[in-house]
Amino acid sequence: MSAHKTLKLIGFVSIAISLSFGALFASAQEKFGFGKPAHPDEIARYNSDIHTDGSGLPDGSGDVALGAEIYEYQCALCHGEELEGVPEMGANSLHEGRRDIKKLPYASSLFDFIRRAMPLTDPGTLSNDETYGLVAFLLNETGVIKDDNLTLDAKSLAAIKMPNRQNFIIDPASRFTAEDLQ
Amino acid sequence: MKSNQTGNPTRRHFMKAGMATSAALLSSSALAQETTLEPSRGPGKTVMEMGYYGERSEYVKDARMKGNRGTGLIGGSLTPLQHGHGIVTPSGLHFEVHHSGVPDIDPSEHKLLIHGLVGEEKVFTMEDLMRFPTVNRFHFLECAGNGMGEWMSPRGQTVQQTHGLTSCSQWTGVPLKVILNELGVRGDAKWVLAEGDDGARMTRSIPMWKAMDDAILAFAQNGEFLRPEQGFPLRLLVPGFEGNMNVKWLHRLEVGDKPWWTHHEVTEYADPRPDDKIRAFSFIMEGRSVITSPSAGMTLNGPGFYEISGLAWSGAGTIKKVEVSMDNGNTWHDANLEAPVLPKCHTRFTLPWTWDGKETTLMSRSTDDTGYVQPTYEGMYKLQGPIGLMHNNAIQNWHIAQTGEITNVRS
Ligand code: HEC
Repeated sequence: MSAHKTLKLIGFVSIAISLSFGALFASAQEKFGFGKPAHPDEIARYNSDIHTDGSGLPDGSGDVALGAEIYEYQCALCHGEELEGVPEMGANSLHEGRRDIKKLPYASSLFDFIRRAMPLTDPGTLSNDETYGLVAFLLNETGVIKDDNLTLDAKSLAAIKMPNRQNFIIDPASRFTAEDLQ
Repeated sequence: MKSNQTGNPTRRHFMKAGMATSAALLSSSALAQETTLEPSRGPGKTVMEMGYYGERSEYVKDARMKGNRGTGLIGGSLTPLQHGHGIVTPSGLHFEVHHSGVPDIDPSEHKLLIHGLVGEEKVFTMEDLMRFPTVNRFHFLECAGNGMGEWMSPRGQTVQQTHGLTSCSQWTGVPLKVILNELGVRGDAKWVLAEGDDGARMTRSIPMWKAMDDAILAFAQNGEFLRPEQGFPLRLLVPGFEGNMNVKWLHRLEVGDKPWWTHHEVTEYADPRPDDKIRAFSFIMEGRSVITSPSAGMTLNGPGFYEISGLAWSGAGTIKKVEVSMDNGNTWHDANLEAPVLPKCHTRFTLPWTWDGKETTLMSRSTDDTGYVQPTYEGMYKLQGPIGLMHNNAIQNWHIAQTGEITNVRS
């Protein structure tokens, strides 16, 4: 994409500028100085997203049995006993179609989404252990990892290779290039 | 004041006289006989009786059409494009889609945290943000799901149902690049995660080249603060990218070196291809157009002159050409593009037309300045297969029966 080249060019130019003008240019002319430095605690409080390499995954662990129990009480009402989705509750199937868990490219985003957005009417209430358990339960239930005793934590979740990962491709029809995927 | 007026005999007198005058106007012979200086109605409401925030006439009923799933937390509404004029959508008629309802946030408590691969990690209040230099830009915003019900067969009964998930506004805000440059972006920074402060804490990954190009931290729309359903007090605007990425109630930006592949970007918003592969990052809303009048649900009032009027837009650039066919795609005519014609913005097109009273089909086709030509449904199927859902920008056909009745068809 041409925007990349422009961006790189801007990068080079600004490096050149900062080399020749040094700190003076940056501090006296460029900065508006609005806003306050973010305190590490403040960042830690809001920085809950999980990266695809697993960074951001919290301490704790949970197994299929824990996940099954939570699912039964907090999720089945909308997502169905068999993960089939309850249309009246607005939930789609979790084992076929667009929201099929088997089709996700990374397990990180499953953990991330459940912890941030579910249960729909009470988001942000699941503990880390419960979320690990739910991911283990859902991966077992959809056959991604067939293991009734599966226990997940930060390390084992980050190591999961989702079977559909290589089917996500960069297609020129979207005006993106491989460079964007990184 | 009100009771005073209703009890005022003079006003009643005028109202009666007014009624008599309009009755007389109906008969042309009476009109020919004498001219009256009596107004057709008495004095209207005083300014004190009018609202402090203007309201439209009670006779104007254009409204959004709502829909939701299950609990109602996931839902949205459609813009009545068939009644629209020009290119701007009134803020109260702008389409909306929510994944966890609509919060109403006190701007004095709202903050934006920017952290990650930046020189300085900072927190901004709304007051801080609004001190930066601003831009005012007209841009359309379109949900990737606009027209998703139309893939298999024509279903929408009006253009509101087929195309109502696009709207256009003037947005005011701070260019994201101004703030990223202020903080300093590290060389390995390639992506930005935008997070909303709604119940779902919606997250989407934005490529750095877009953040440094024309992305805006918008706080105003059409001259006033954003509406709550548009993300008040702060939303991200990534012009031309699918609606979902324009994260509302924006409270956090994390600068990183890779995309996050968040749940929404890898499930419903990623496009399947006919070969079972999945097209990652189908962010750009490609060129599209639709005739908004005459359109399905309307009836032509006999043969004669009609102005064909519609909207065209492209998330990749500026509309260069709109062609209209009044004979089911056999011949095409260049429509007039009404100024202003702006990048990543609705463009109003018009074409005069005299209907001969015969059955026919109307359609429009846009071309943008990247050379992209709006596809037919056959073209769309090649790209996504018939199981497509999102990013439907196919040519729309409106069938006109001899009775003048207009319906949504696939020719
Ligand atoms: C009140 C109904 C409801 C409850 C309870 C609920 N969900 Fe959901 N869930 C939904 C809806 C609706 C969506 C779709 C979200 C969207 O499109 O934004 C969803 C989405 C999901 C998804 C992503 C797949 C998809 O359809 O987008 C997962 C995974 C999920 N829920 C897991 C859970 C888990 C685990 C629980 C229990 C802790 C739970 N949900 C409880 C309604 C519910």
